[in-house]
Amino acid sequence: MSAAAPVPAHTVDELMIATLAREFDDSTRAFNGAVSYIPVCAYLLARRTHAPGLVWAASSIAIDADPVQLGESTLSDSIWGGATMLSNSPFDFWAYAQGMRYNTFAFRGAQIDRYGNVNNSVIGPYARPRVRLPGGGGMADLSCMIPNIYLWSTTHDRKTFVPRLDFRSGIGWGDGGGHRERLGLPGGPRLCITNLCVMDFHAELKAMRLKSLHQGVTVGAVQDATGFEVLLPETEIPQTVPPDAEQLRVLREQVDPTAMRLREFR
Amino acid sequence: MTIEQAAALVPDGSTVAIGGLSMNCSPMAMVRELIRQGRRDLRVVAIVNGMAVDWLIAAGCLRRLVTALISFEGLGLAPHFRRAAESGAVEVEEYSEYLLIARLRAAATRVPFIPTKAGLGTDIIGLHPETTRLEADPVTGEAYVACTPLPVDVAIVHAHAADEHGNVRVDPKLIWMDNEIVNAAQTTIVTVERIVPHHTFVATPERTTYPRFVVTAVAEAPWGAYPTSCFPQYAHDAQFYADYTQAARDEAAFGRFWRERVAGPQTHCAFLEASGGQAALMRLRRGAP
Repeated sequence: MSAAAPVPAHTVDELMIATLAREFDDSTRAFNGAVSYIPVCAYLLARRTHAPGLVWAASSIAIDADPVQLGESTLSDSIWGGATMLSNSPFDFWAYAQGMRYNTFAFRGAQIDRYGNVNNSVIGPYARPRVRLPGGGGMADLSCMIPNIYLWSTTHDRKTFVPRLDFRSGIGWGDGGGHRERLGLPGGPRLCITNLCVMDFHAELKAMRLKSLHQGVTVGAVQDATGFEVLLPETEIPQTVPPDAEQLRVLREQVDPTAMRLREFR
Repeated sequence: MTIEQAAALVPDGSTVAIGGLSMNCSPMAMVRELIRQGRRDLRVVAIVNGMAVDWLIAAGCLRRLVTALISFEGLGLAPHFRRAAESGAVEVEEYSEYLLIARLRAAATRVPFIPTKAGLGTDIIGLHPETTRLEADPVTGEAYVACTPLPVDVAIVHAHAADEHGNVRVDPKLIWMDNEIVNAAQTTIVTVERIVPHHTFVATPERTTYPRFVVTAVAEAPWGAYPTSCFPQYAHDAQFYADYTQAARDEAAFGRFWRERVAGPQTHCAFLEASGGQAALMRLRRGAP
């Protein structure tokens, strides 16, 4: 190997998207829900770089969509350009999801716990919530059906990463250990990518474990920002691999030229 | 039938399912008419929705809400839904999307329940032990959720075209979850972009979505999904969503907005005019029908 090329300047949204994109390959068959700019960018980036065979159904509807830019909603026709099929929810989508023809799903939560379960329903007591959130939509369903689950969060803090959810709208590894398997559910969460770090899940406990730190972030900073103990690997914790020049170029020029992804950072 | 006549088919206190998906194709002209006619105590089923539900709550028409998700997506939380749910003014029956589809199918097919693995291990199931029961297969012991019927009194959906007999075309046949609510409903009201001659249905029967015996009433309402979208003809109006959300931050401002832009206008045309009329609509125009 020649000397490493200098790391191009990049921002945390670009780092998160490039990291998620690297998880996908030609066997990835994905779809997306509401306000899902980070995974949508990652699917498109992967497909336009190293995984041309990746399947992505825009809004869970427009299969193989190839939009020239993203719109203000990830559930609207603004991102359906170039699709080869507009699939119908009742006949196509749910059958493909339950049959694991789709195999990859990314979601986030207003609250996330150590096992990758998420809450998008209420903050506070259910009957009289302090904040009524939109609700999980299809999250409770799809988190039971899809084997490769990825979590992301643009707000890695103690409000988001909590010891106990106020409500479990979507299941990750459930109560940890073999809970998901006992329920007869396939796979489970693979990674949780945040604005501070990347976490995977301990093989037996199925609890979050630090995998890599974004540049300039310390173990202490992650632990301080997390409402539960983050497991540490036995080996040294590497820095998250930065996006390469080609990833940055494709993301900025082709995938999301109007930077709609920044809407996730408001 | 006129929009006014069709809206009169919805009784106070009934269970009304509203079509569309998020910012796509909700029957907004009919929702507005229900508000104008002062409907009360509705139990609304809206699987994934935003503006239609927020209007019905703002107008005080809605008592209970059966839903999986209510938001304005990237444009924020639905303000009246949020407030009413937090204060307890509206009772929210929260399910997930597929559990609602399964419950509607159980109603449509007249079976005691439909089994699914959707929702296992989440708190959604525990909210409704009477309608989504956790059970185990008597032979294998495998866990499943038994989704009991969710009967609907009136389904209201928006579509592209109908003929004078009430045959309806969603064209292209992108029907979201609308057919689930139509199949589960006793009465189905459809608003359409336009009424077309019957012979056009006979010429292309493969494009028909709902046959006349499934449809109770049809009302012509061009731009009837506005400010949501009607793919591929027009997009949702992001400016309306932004103005609405902005106004909702202040009671007086919202009162003005509500009178001028939503409930006040006497007719569907006047309503469209209040948001900028022809010039504004042309900016939302996509492909030709």
